[in-house]
Amino acid sequence: MRRSSPLGRFLIYLVLTVGAVVMAFPFYWMLATSLKSPQEAQQARPIWIPERLKASNWRVAWSLGAEAGSSWWGGFGPQQSVTLKLYAPPGPVPQVMVPSPPGAFSDPRSEQTRVQVSYQGDHWAIRFTNPSSEHFRTLPAVILISKEYPSYTPELPPDAIRSSGDDWRLEYVNVAPGLLGYIFHNYLEAWYAAPFARYFFNSFFTAGLQVLGGLFLAVLAAFALARIPFPGKSWVFGLILATLMIPGEVLLIPNYVLLARLEWIDTYYALIVPWLASVFGIFLLRQFYLSLPQDLFDAARIDGASYWTQMFRIALPLSIPGLITYGIFTFLGAYNALLWPLIVTNSPEMRTVQLGLQVFIGEAGSDYGALMAASTVSILPIILGYFIAQKQFIQGVARSGIK
Amino acid sequence: MGLRLSLYLGFLVSTLLVRLLWDLRFAPSWLYAALVLLVVGLGLWTMRGSPALVWVGGLVTLAGLGVGYFNAVASLIALAGLFISYHGWRNHLSEKDQAAFWGWVFVWPALALLVFWQVLPAFYAVWLSLLDRFNFLGPSRFAGLGNYEILLRDPLFWKAMGNTFWFVAFTVPIGIGLAALIAILLNERVRFQGLFRTLYFLPYITALTAAAAVWDWIYNPEFGFLNYLLGTQGLDWLNRPEGIFSLLLAPLGFQLQGFFAGPSLAFVAIMVMTIWHFLGYQIVVLLAGLQNIPREYYEAAELDGASWWQQQWLITWPLLSPATFFLFTLGLIGAFQVFTQVLILTPTGGVLQDTLTVTLYLYNKGFRDSDFSYASAIAVVVFGVILILTLIQQRVLERRVNYET
Repeated sequence: MRRSSPLGRFLIYLVLTVGAVVMAFPFYWMLATSLKSPQEAQQARPIWIPERLKASNWRVAWSLGAEAGSSWWGGFGPQQSVTLKLYAPPGPVPQVMVPSPPGAFSDPRSEQTRVQVSYQGDHWAIRFTNPSSEHFRTLPAVILISKEYPSYTPELPPDAIRSSGDDWRLEYVNVAPGLLGYIFHNYLEAWYAAPFARYFFNSFFTAGLQVLGGLFLAVLAAFALARIPFPGKSWVFGLILATLMIPGEVLLIPNYVLLARLEWIDTYYALIVPWLASVFGIFLLRQFYLSLPQDLFDAARIDGASYWTQMFRIALPLSIPGLITYGIFTFLGAYNALLWPLIVTNSPEMRTVQLGLQVFIGEAGSDYGALMAASTVSILPIILGYFIAQKQFIQGVARSGIK
Repeated sequence: MGLRLSLYLGFLVSTLLVRLLWDLRFAPSWLYAALVLLVVGLGLWTMRGSPALVWVGGLVTLAGLGVGYFNAVASLIALAGLFISYHGWRNHLSEKDQAAFWGWVFVWPALALLVFWQVLPAFYAVWLSLLDRFNFLGPSRFAGLGNYEILLRDPLFWKAMGNTFWFVAFTVPIGIGLAALIAILLNERVRFQGLFRTLYFLPYITALTAAAAVWDWIYNPEFGFLNYLLGTQGLDWLNRPEGIFSLLLAPLGFQLQGFFAGPSLAFVAIMVMTIWHFLGYQIVVLLAGLQNIPREYYEAAELDGASWWQQQWLITWPLLSPATFFLFTLGLIGAFQVFTQVLILTPTGGVLQDTLTVTLYLYNKGFRDSDFSYASAIAVVVFGVILILTLIQQRVLERRVNYET
């Protein structure tokens, strides 16, 4: 037992906590920004808890959404109307309009929306009516209210307040948000601005096939190298060892040329096939198979089991942990890769999540809310995977370092 | 027999590979023809005195190779013939010969892919680097070592190499040092070890693209969190080409120029982000190394009256050397591959190309300027540099690594 004074313990926890806060901060910041309105995001003093996370606003967003058609996801249904209350003492009539899109991403919106403003006891009731038979995802609004008002409280906090001559300009990105539509406004913006569903499909499809195909090839080769005595084995092993020395960037250009001649540029093949056979996987699994007792295989051989049977019935089940390690690493590498998809794909339909995100970064400009929302979504599958298979992730990394 | 079988199998697969290369205009047709003749000869030699079924398989193989002359995909029929032959042989083959056959059958799929996508392309890269502006736009001619001559006098290449040097010099020691500190503290049997480990580890599994997007936002000159934290409103971290040493030493009256001015502030910002990204990996590797050190060592040291610091310095650090050596190697090789975070944070390579890295330069040359030859020359030089560094490192450093625990 090592001794540890209370002061020492305190220092240990202090250092660890400070470090953990620094490590975790970018995640918090990403998440917080993804829930902020543009004006909240662009403050010199950071806002720690966005308006969109306050329960009092949720209630309003829910009922506004319910009025316009959907209390969860919001939207402005055909022939629906929605009333926003603006609590204020009597005074000049506020002007209300439905503006052209304020953000970086445009979305069709109701041009013919009818707006009626009336004073009702203690508040201005601003009634939006959709006379068309179309459904609109959002209903943006701008309210110009005179600066003569000593105070005013809109039912739902505006997404931006600006000064505009003698008026305050209250901007709403969506007056009919619904609960989830209100909280996750930026996520919806990002989702509708780029084909992320397609990106996710591409990423999962190519990474998944890379894992499955890679596992199959690596199991075969590793089993042969570990368990089958065949002439030229050391030669093969030497060649594989030598392959380990080739750095990835040397292969970029020649493999691109190969793919071009195969006419595989901008296809799934280009994303999957070149990295199917993995030296890392072969090594890892060979190590596993070498550590299994020879008696096991001798017994199977005496019972007449072919190599094929030995591999699938004995070696494979015993090497599941190694397979999971390899699978996680390959999937991570394929899912997180940017350079290779950037080189071998051109069309938006073939983009992977990371490439889509990279393009989105260029398009989003200063819409940091949508950008952070897209980033959050893009890392979500891996983070979820980590929490499901935490042990395998950690052990996989640890194992890669020891050998 | 086992050897003959292996050779037959090996040359058959090689022939099929050459057939594919011929289709891609990498190999001449006569090479395929010659290999087919060789395979036929090997087949006759191998099948001598074998049962009829073997010969049937041999005929199918021959037919496959023949049809393969006209169609690359059809040449795969030859493989079916091989398995028919094996079926005929099966009961006549000894244990050893069967092992020879199946060993190669299992190894070939992965081996063929490795040869096709990694081994041959590595050589092809060398060949490309000897051409003059190879791309898809027009013909190119042999240029000898011309590209290398230009490369060695290319200031941007040296800028990229210098940045790589600074990258290693900063991120590797700082990363390993911080990771060792955290790992040693985590190993002190703290509570919430799992929670801490998760928090430290998450950045590593986060894609660099998303991580860089977040850091770009944190570094934002007007609304970035870092400027709020440091009270440096308006400081544009990612657009400052001044070297970090010259910035730090300017108040003292030193004027540093060129390489000795150090990495630019923008590049330092990128390195900080990279350390953050990679730290979790280093911690987990070091933690695994720490858990391999037997507790008795510490107990013995305790009895001898060694302090906590002495224990860390005299027991932990030396016995951790395999793990630190591994991380050092990884950091060294990884520095040449830095790309994603630079592309996201400084898409153009920074002001005056101050954040240029080797891989970004290679990408720019190859895929923006369409000069595959020059890009290949960069790749080949990098390959050589990595090879030499690895050798030096193994000769010099690995001697001091303590592998036995």
